[in-house]
Amino acid sequence: MADTLSKPKRESGLTWKQQELLGYAVRYVIAAVLIVFAFTPVIWIVSASLNQSGSLVSAEIIPRNAGFDNYRTLLEHQYYPFVKWFINSFKIAIISTTLSVTSTAVSAYALSRFRFYGRQNLMRAILIINIFPGVLSMIALYVIVQQLGVHVPFLGLDSHWSLILIYTSGAMSINVFLVKGYMDTIPIELDESALVDGATHWQIFRVIMLPLAKPILVTISVLTFMAIYGDFILPRVLLQSSDKLTIMVGLYLFQSADYAQNWGVFTAGAIIAALPVLALYMLLQNYIIGGLTAGSIKL
Amino acid sequence: MSIKEKNKATTNWIPLVIRWGGLAIFDVGLLWLIMQLVLDGAYPLATVLLLITVFVTLVFLVERFKAFRWMSVGIGLATLFVLYPVVYTIYLSTTNTGVGHILTPQQAIERLERVQYIPENGQRFSWTAFRADDENIALWLIDEEGETAFATVGNVDTSAVAGQDGIDELDEDGIPLNIDGYQRLETRDVLAQLDQFATINFGDPDVIIRISGLNSAATTQQRYRYDAEQNSITDLQTGTVYTAERGSFRSEDETLTPGFFINIGLENFERFFASSALRGPLVNIVTWNFSYAILSVVSSFALGLFIALLFDKLPGKKIIRTLLIVPYPIPALVSILIWRNLLNPDFGALVRLQETLFGFSPNWLTDPNATRLAIIIVNMWLSYPYFYIISSGALQALPSEILDAAAVDGANVWQKFSKITLPLLLRIVSPLLVASFAFNFNNFNLIYIFNEGNPPIAGTPIPAGHTDILISFVYKLAFTSALADYGLAAAISIVLFALVGIITWLQFNYTGIFEDKD
Repeated sequence: MADTLSKPKRESGLTWKQQELLGYAVRYVIAAVLIVFAFTPVIWIVSASLNQSGSLVSAEIIPRNAGFDNYRTLLEHQYYPFVKWFINSFKIAIISTTLSVTSTAVSAYALSRFRFYGRQNLMRAILIINIFPGVLSMIALYVIVQQLGVHVPFLGLDSHWSLILIYTSGAMSINVFLVKGYMDTIPIELDESALVDGATHWQIFRVIMLPLAKPILVTISVLTFMAIYGDFILPRVLLQSSDKLTIMVGLYLFQSADYAQNWGVFTAGAIIAALPVLALYMLLQNYIIGGLTAGSIKL
Repeated sequence: MSIKEKNKATTNWIPLVIRWGGLAIFDVGLLWLIMQLVLDGAYPLATVLLLITVFVTLVFLVERFKAFRWMSVGIGLATLFVLYPVVYTIYLSTTNTGVGHILTPQQAIERLERVQYIPENGQRFSWTAFRADDENIALWLIDEEGETAFATVGNVDTSAVAGQDGIDELDEDGIPLNIDGYQRLETRDVLAQLDQFATINFGDPDVIIRISGLNSAATTQQRYRYDAEQNSITDLQTGTVYTAERGSFRSEDETLTPGFFINIGLENFERFFASSALRGPLVNIVTWNFSYAILSVVSSFALGLFIALLFDKLPGKKIIRTLLIVPYPIPALVSILIWRNLLNPDFGALVRLQETLFGFSPNWLTDPNATRLAIIIVNMWLSYPYFYIISSGALQALPSEILDAAAVDGANVWQKFSKITLPLLLRIVSPLLVASFAFNFNNFNLIYIFNEGNPPIAGTPIPAGHTDILISFVYKLAFTSALADYGLAAAISIVLFALVGIITWLQFNYTGIFEDKD
């Protein structure tokens, strides 16, 4: 068999070239099947969102009277403040991502550049407390937020700021290690010479580190934003009044209310909810894929 | 100007003032909050906040702890919202916290002592409500002798008569038509808010006047008095004594609400492991929890790896990859909601398609096994792109010499894959497989949003479904069941913590993440 390549023909009677083409053909067919699998739900909701008759019963793949009625209904809905929900989701996700990534970056800088007593133990502690899945803490978080809210309504139930602070507390996670690892690869001679020139650590961080660590910071920002934007259980547990909800909780409640009637509007909402994340993903695809693979191979 | 000179020039006290000022405001604010929490009896939370305050203050005062200043926000918040909840969950699991037992003893006693009753010799009135410009409610009262009074919260003016203090003419019922700064309320407005009005304590705190009906109000007295020595509550109206027992004040045949939470040791864990009423559904839930997590990881990894291998060197790989990754960036919740609707037995598009093609369709949301299968398929759709990305990356990292050598030695495709590629790949991705297992083990979103853990298991004391996993059961137990039992829910969370902790610990040891890197 070692000389397979040198033989023009194989037992099947096909040339090597024909074999290769057949292999391609089979693989393209499999690819087509998989693409159908990946796209079924997507195509279905795009079509449903354009179908103006609106209910699930009348759904068909190519709607006869396509139009944007469902989107209009969505934006002007009487009882379900979709626009408000979008704004809430964006507000919470953007503020939390900014605060959390900032906190991650400065913490990673300290871990990468300072040598202090307890550094190893601190890093171990960060790893260990993050073993515990946050979702298991929801009862405790509910009680804590409720207790705080008695005196500081701003940090209590039904307030966006308690959510934002909880999300920001996620800064001390595996992200710190990703950023610290990245900063470790930035030559320390750079900041040493700046130190000699009399720069403060804050200046080194801002002027040298931030620009150089940008790729990893973009990656974790996108992943953090996607995770917060798509979160369900925490806002579901902590937020109560209708106009405070996030789009994910809102969509869930909307479709549980009377999904057969609301199907068209729901699909329009689902598409709008997914669009920002899709756009972000398309824009920063390389960062994300790079980050996922780097994270996998290093840790 | 060089950085050095610039820094010399700006080494002044402005940053120091900002630092000290900020620290002072932070400390004062938190100390105030801690005091309030202590008064509430919320000692654990107060302790944690105190620790955080001390930590932050020390770090900013002592030059030696400079490095921690950079991490003070991160460490402070992580202590409050990541570490403390774990500790608090452990604490909750040893209590009977739940519906009717949610308050601390202090809070429960305080609420009970606020309860009022109308004694037989109490003064009775008819009333008319007025609303002040600042939305406060006041009452015009007429007692049985026809004497009038004007009661606000905190004060009763018995000398209030028409023509004085801005009080207008009286109508035929003896009620002023108008009072300055107040607006007389119509009966229908009153009706709409009667329940709310009935909770307001009017008049002097010593002689509280309460609304007892649409036409009647009366002076009231405190109903319950707490006796700290006996730890009991006495009903001042009937003389009944209620003693504290299992988180409530109880007499022989009555229990007062609200109750409070108490420590019950390991009882919740005993219930979890030994209660016969829970055992049936729990065995079901635990079995499904494990098989679901394993099947999910294996199936999505297999599909992702298959795609990565199959299209590795195919022309047009880039387009195929972009198309196949589509499910990844869509928020999982949106995808799960869509799948749930596509598989709805009444209207679901896929269900109708299956009926047209095959003449029947499984009951994807009502038959236990079909629902389980649906969940695995949906999870595959959600997570294969991730494993596809990871596997492609890892495949690039494999040394190609070994595969070439094997090919030269005459290994066929399957041999090369099973003997070389797969073992090497598994070494790289196994931490991710374990992490994915741990994630899926607690994948609340998929289970709860797809079908709320349904179809339900018949005849269980606490609502549970055939596709419930432990975490969705915990959620139902704590937040949707009428018997909300936070204590038991916390105990199950602790068991889950332990399971995930052990799995991750093994993984960390295996990958040597605890070995110091520098």
